[in-house]
Amino acid sequence: MNSNRRIVIFVLSSCLLYFLFSLLGSLFHLNWPVFKRINLIADVITKDTTAVATDSLSATALVAPPLLIENKASKDFTVYVKPRFITDFNVDTTQPALLRLMQKLHELKKGKKRKIRIGYFGDSMIEGDLLTQTLRTLLQGEFGGSGVGFVPVSNPSAKIRQTVTDNFSGGWEEYNFKNAGKNNQLFLSGYLFRGSNDWVEMRDHTIKDSNAVIEKRLFYGYADADAPVSIKVNDNVVSVPAKETFGNMVIGQNKSPYIKVGVSDNRLPLYGISFETESGIIVDNFSFRGISGVEFGAIDTTFLNAVAASTNYDLLVFQYGVNVLFKPNDKNFNWYARLVMPSVKKLKSSFSNADFLIISTADRAFRYDGEYKSAIGIDSLIKLQAGIAYETGACFYNQFSTMGGHNSIVQWADTTPSLANKDYVHPNHRGAAVLAQYFFEAIMKDYKKYTLTQK
Amino acid sequence: MPSFETAAFFQQFLYDPKNPLLFNNGFFVFFFTAFIALYYTFRNNFAVRRYIFCFFSLYFFYKASGFFVVLVIISAIANFVLSNAIFKSRTKSSKTWLLCLNIIFNLGLLFYFKYTNFFISFSNDFLGSHFHPFNVLLPVGISFFTFENLSYTIDIYRGQFEPAKKFTDYLLFLSFFPKLVMGPIVRAHDFVPQINKDYFVTENDFAKGFYLIISGLFKKLILSDYLTTNYVDYIFDDPARYTGLENLVAVYGYAAVIYCDFSGYSDVALGVAKWLGFDIPANFLSPYQSKNITEFWRRWHISLSSWLKDYLYIPLGGNRKGSFATYLFAAIFFAGVFMTGTHLLHLSYLWASVLTASILLLFILPAIIKKDRAGIPTGLNLLTTMLLGGFWHGASWNFIIWGALHGIALAVHKVWILLTGKAFASFNNSRIYNIIAAVLTFHFVCFCWIFFKANSFDAAGNMIHQIFFDFSPSVWKAFYANYRPVLAILALAFLLHLIPDDLADRVIGKFNKIPMLGYIALFFAFVIVYGFFKSSEQVLPIYLKF
Repeated sequence: MNSNRRIVIFVLSSCLLYFLFSLLGSLFHLNWPVFKRINLIADVITKDTTAVATDSLSATALVAPPLLIENKASKDFTVYVKPRFITDFNVDTTQPALLRLMQKLHELKKGKKRKIRIGYFGDSMIEGDLLTQTLRTLLQGEFGGSGVGFVPVSNPSAKIRQTVTDNFSGGWEEYNFKNAGKNNQLFLSGYLFRGSNDWVEMRDHTIKDSNAVIEKRLFYGYADADAPVSIKVNDNVVSVPAKETFGNMVIGQNKSPYIKVGVSDNRLPLYGISFETESGIIVDNFSFRGISGVEFGAIDTTFLNAVAASTNYDLLVFQYGVNVLFKPNDKNFNWYARLVMPSVKKLKSSFSNADFLIISTADRAFRYDGEYKSAIGIDSLIKLQAGIAYETGACFYNQFSTMGGHNSIVQWADTTPSLANKDYVHPNHRGAAVLAQYFFEAIMKDYKKYTLTQK
Repeated sequence: MPSFETAAFFQQFLYDPKNPLLFNNGFFVFFFTAFIALYYTFRNNFAVRRYIFCFFSLYFFYKASGFFVVLVIISAIANFVLSNAIFKSRTKSSKTWLLCLNIIFNLGLLFYFKYTNFFISFSNDFLGSHFHPFNVLLPVGISFFTFENLSYTIDIYRGQFEPAKKFTDYLLFLSFFPKLVMGPIVRAHDFVPQINKDYFVTENDFAKGFYLIISGLFKKLILSDYLTTNYVDYIFDDPARYTGLENLVAVYGYAAVIYCDFSGYSDVALGVAKWLGFDIPANFLSPYQSKNITEFWRRWHISLSSWLKDYLYIPLGGNRKGSFATYLFAAIFFAGVFMTGTHLLHLSYLWASVLTASILLLFILPAIIKKDRAGIPTGLNLLTTMLLGGFWHGASWNFIIWGALHGIALAVHKVWILLTGKAFASFNNSRIYNIIAAVLTFHFVCFCWIFFKANSFDAAGNMIHQIFFDFSPSVWKAFYANYRPVLAILALAFLLHLIPDDLADRVIGKFNKIPMLGYIALFFAFVIVYGFFKSSEQVLPIYLKF
């Protein structure tokens, strides 16, 4: 028997029923999410827009306590939305925002021998030296200097980092933000290592000028020992005083981009090795995956002061936020403001010689109704981050608007060649290079303002 | 109060690059209903029925790929004209010239759209040229319909088949909407005779078609899509960020994804075809149940592997002799292996030579063991077939590497059979031997998928590095806690895969006639499950190591 008729009846009746269900769903606002996603006629029916309007209203509402944006005649808070622009919120935009840094850059440009050290803090967005590697190259190209800066003994991206080869033995005891507790003595990298018969070797791949003399500096802490601790540097014995709370000492000064350090006494806390030149730009990449910047609050203040006293930072860049946005529907991040403010204030007061720049989160998308879109709370988080900068007297740079604003991460991930990963969180190495270029240009704009005031 | 939007309604009928037509669009429900109603109404008027079918097929293609539909029409005209000319020409030489013209036309189109940029970057990287990449988009389905065109004209050239009498017969063969986008690759001699036949469907066809459509959609829209967006894409995009455990699960995940996606689409095509009175041979037969790689290729994408056998492997010389092309491709391949050794694997010239020589030996070994010189070209023909088969999947080195690995594995399997066939005869049919063989085969196939899916050779290398050197089993608890739903879907995908292929037929055979309400209830049950998965909460990646 021919069943073709039954097939046609099946298709027609299923389609009719499906259509009727969809129609009823649209007419009576059936909000069962399962059915909303499979409504056949959703595309040709205007949506009820009132619900959306209240959503966006709360996202753009003024920053709630604990931050109150005080109106001051000399300040303009709203400028925080401006892309590719470093602001100190001053109404007078002819003055540079990072004034002290620009003075120092100008001295360096004029030929004065000096180091300018930038500590770039971030989460997985800068892991593997992403962003900072391009920024370092651009800044060193413009103002001079060589070397990759500080490198921790190890971290999860040690093996994929392109700018340094970092090999180490398996026995290092590691302490970090996730296991160290309060009043710890972790360095700005968030790590501390102790070795007993352990070694680490590093090779810096960023050095273009083979004639440059590279200082290899060891970053270490206080060792609870009677005498200086002996370590091995490229098979020579070197003694580390290790009597101060924090120290950094030159353990190699030659043209070689390579060094190997062996440690047999685990009383000596080690942080890492820095490759730098006597004069010029140093960019330290302090990446720690999964954190939001509140972790610095747990580092012991005396220790931080000792770091600041021995290692002169001229700019601290504080780029977090993506890990604050870990739930798709969060819109209120006041809890974050309460936690991160002490961290920012602490770093600012310990490193009083440094300019402080807060960089907002980049775009992050979640799947809403089957489609990837910017996190609905992203505007309120960025406003909050700008508020923290405003309140603490830090400068601010809007990474989100720099990228292109809403849904830019979706475009970045879907373009060919892609600029971001399909997790709709992380710009990839191409995307990070683009962000670094924009940031460098913003710094140069600020620098130009300074040079204009000097004429 | 919601209101009807006229502009949006008309917009629905136009091609939308952001939302191309597939079986899962709401639009397809209306499209198919309108089509089948018209098809049924004009079922006894073959010409009108054919026009309707062609129109809907081309419209489907337009909704899926925009104005590339013109390409399908042009290509149908050119092939129809040329194949008729081949059929009518008297002399062998004119037939051959026309065939060459036809091959140049078809492969030329394919090359222009699919491979131009690959060869531009090849030339820029290796020959130091400075060409700008073209801004060409890849028309959907071109790889499939090019092969269909080629097999059609070659069959006519070989005298195995008389050309379609009417142009619309040919156009329908080429554009038949169920298979146009993702196959299977249909052969004209199977398909064309079914076009002008009575619309006859048995109750069993109805049930089997329903089963194929629903199970195909389930595999594609639920299993594959869920695993892709909630896990596999994250990991493959940046494998170095994740532990070896996560990477390994991503490889298993991708094995499930590519099978469910590809075979799911094929099943829907087969099911829809069945409902319209067409029989298309099965394209996948639970390939991961294979006990060796040769068997895998008899169960995986069968329409492609049989096409490659008939139109590439056999013309190259098959298992009898070698041809110029055999040795040309073999020479290119072994040069490529040497270069891979020196450039990608950073081996010294000596070790790269050892690598190349050992792979060469692998292909010669069967001939040495059997003391049969014809064995040498056989292996090389197979290798060439696999290399080009890999390249067919996409214009990148990773696909060539994928094809090469499969080609080498086929050679290894051949040697293995020759060496162990007799010695292992007492136990090589035992259950335990088969299970070990199937597990090994599956893992080899998975290993090759890494190259198939990874964005670049480096990404594939990172993935392999993480799996072998940074496995971190200690993160299992946190991993399990975060990815439980993903692991459940993955387990379901593999469990379904273990079901014997003929189970559905046996179950359907037990029913005389399933009541209409039963079908409708099953259909809506599926729709609701689909809705549930579409609105399910996103599984977000987490860091397991700090």
